[in-house]
Amino acid sequence: MLKREIQLDINGNVYSLSVLPQRTLLEVLREDIGLTGTKEGCSEGECGVCTVLLDGLPVRSCLLLAIDVRGGKIMTIEGLSQKGDLHPLQKAFIEHGAIQCGFCTPGMILSAKAILDQNPLPSEEEIRGGLSGNLCRCTGYVKIIKAVQAAAQR
Amino acid sequence: MRYFEYVEPKTLDEACQFLNTYEEAKILAGGVSLVVLLKNRLITPSHLVNLKTVPGLNKIEWDDRAGLRIGSLNRHRNIIDSAPIKKHFPILSEAASKIATPSIRNMGTVGGNICHAEPSADLPPALMAGNATLRAVSSKGERKIPIELFFTDYYENVLNQDEVLVEIQIPPFPSQRLGGTYIKLDKVTNSIAIVGVASVICLDDQGVCNFAGLCLGGVASTPLKVERVKEIFLGEKIKETHMEQAAKEAQTISNPLTNVYATAEYRKEMVYVLTRKALQESLKKAQAM
Repeated sequence: MLKREIQLDINGNVYSLSVLPQRTLLEVLREDIGLTGTKEGCSEGECGVCTVLLDGLPVRSCLLLAIDVRGGKIMTIEGLSQKGDLHPLQKAFIEHGAIQCGFCTPGMILSAKAILDQNPLPSEEEIRGGLSGNLCRCTGYVKIIKAVQAAAQR
Repeated sequence: MRYFEYVEPKTLDEACQFLNTYEEAKILAGGVSLVVLLKNRLITPSHLVNLKTVPGLNKIEWDDRAGLRIGSLNRHRNIIDSAPIKKHFPILSEAASKIATPSIRNMGTVGGNICHAEPSADLPPALMAGNATLRAVSSKGERKIPIELFFTDYYENVLNQDEVLVEIQIPPFPSQRLGGTYIKLDKVTNSIAIVGVASVICLDDQGVCNFAGLCLGGVASTPLKVERVKEIFLGEKIKETHMEQAAKEAQTISNPLTNVYATAEYRKEMVYVLTRKALQESLKKAQAM
């Protein structure tokens, strides 16, 4: 089996890796690089916990081959805080109790970031639409939406 | 996933050659459907041919003679946002906006959505209602396939192993007064269609119908075109009775399955209700133009 040498731009750092072509971005992030903030849920593109940003847009890292995203800029939850300071969305999630078990949170926050990057003051409906691909089994979503609205106000 | 070799063709010709040489090869576009099939070992290709390294397959162009030409590698997101599509065939943007979730719409391609041939997929009914033609290229040349001849069964289409869908063409409609809609019945927002109905109506200056297209998703082994709508609508000032007749015809020819999402009986009932609604909305939009 033939491994390929690839380079990936993740959170502004370039990683040189040797991967098999069937390795998903999710596997490479968690197992090869050790960025375990991105979670594995259904692994079929339904649940959204593996969401990362590719060139600013949310995508499912479980359905992307790592070899196929060379040249793109990838952001994971680890890339959000600046010099140890949490991102406003991360702070708002904590303050509003939008986190319970925390498993959906990395994907939820990255999808929320993509919403706010495109539309700094989204309506509740726009927030719900933007988060429609991220399932949360704990919160009932209300506190998550309140947290995104609060972050938008900052 | 089983091991596969991975190749990046630089030209369409090279992509076709790879597909010709490696009989067990599959095309990788957005990967949304393909990677799920690979993970479940429903397919075990020897090679993946990444079409995204072939330039020029993500254009969207309009001209008065050829109409809309949409490169097969456009993501659903581009279909939703494209100014020429929103202007000349907005029903396609509407259908694309009802596909799954934002991140899937950032990944999946229009070509992949068509070629996967899932009978509940959202784009094929809209394209079929608009009389789309598919342009496929192989090492032997190219051919144009009317979309109603493309699908053969559940997850099956007419493409040969070495053929690549490169472009979707939607010819211009006979007049400006165009109305259309795609109605999707789903369990939760944008989950798989229990029933999908796409309709397109075009009127002349006197309000007489000069184009009608109607297609159903999720109610047969392939998207189902309701051919008789032409007979019922063309040359008429469309009335409620015409729309009832078309909805009954749609219900009669639909042949759905019972599965975890809905029973066949329920789907058939919904075909009548939603077809009428889609036609009423399309007519209203066309009359308002």
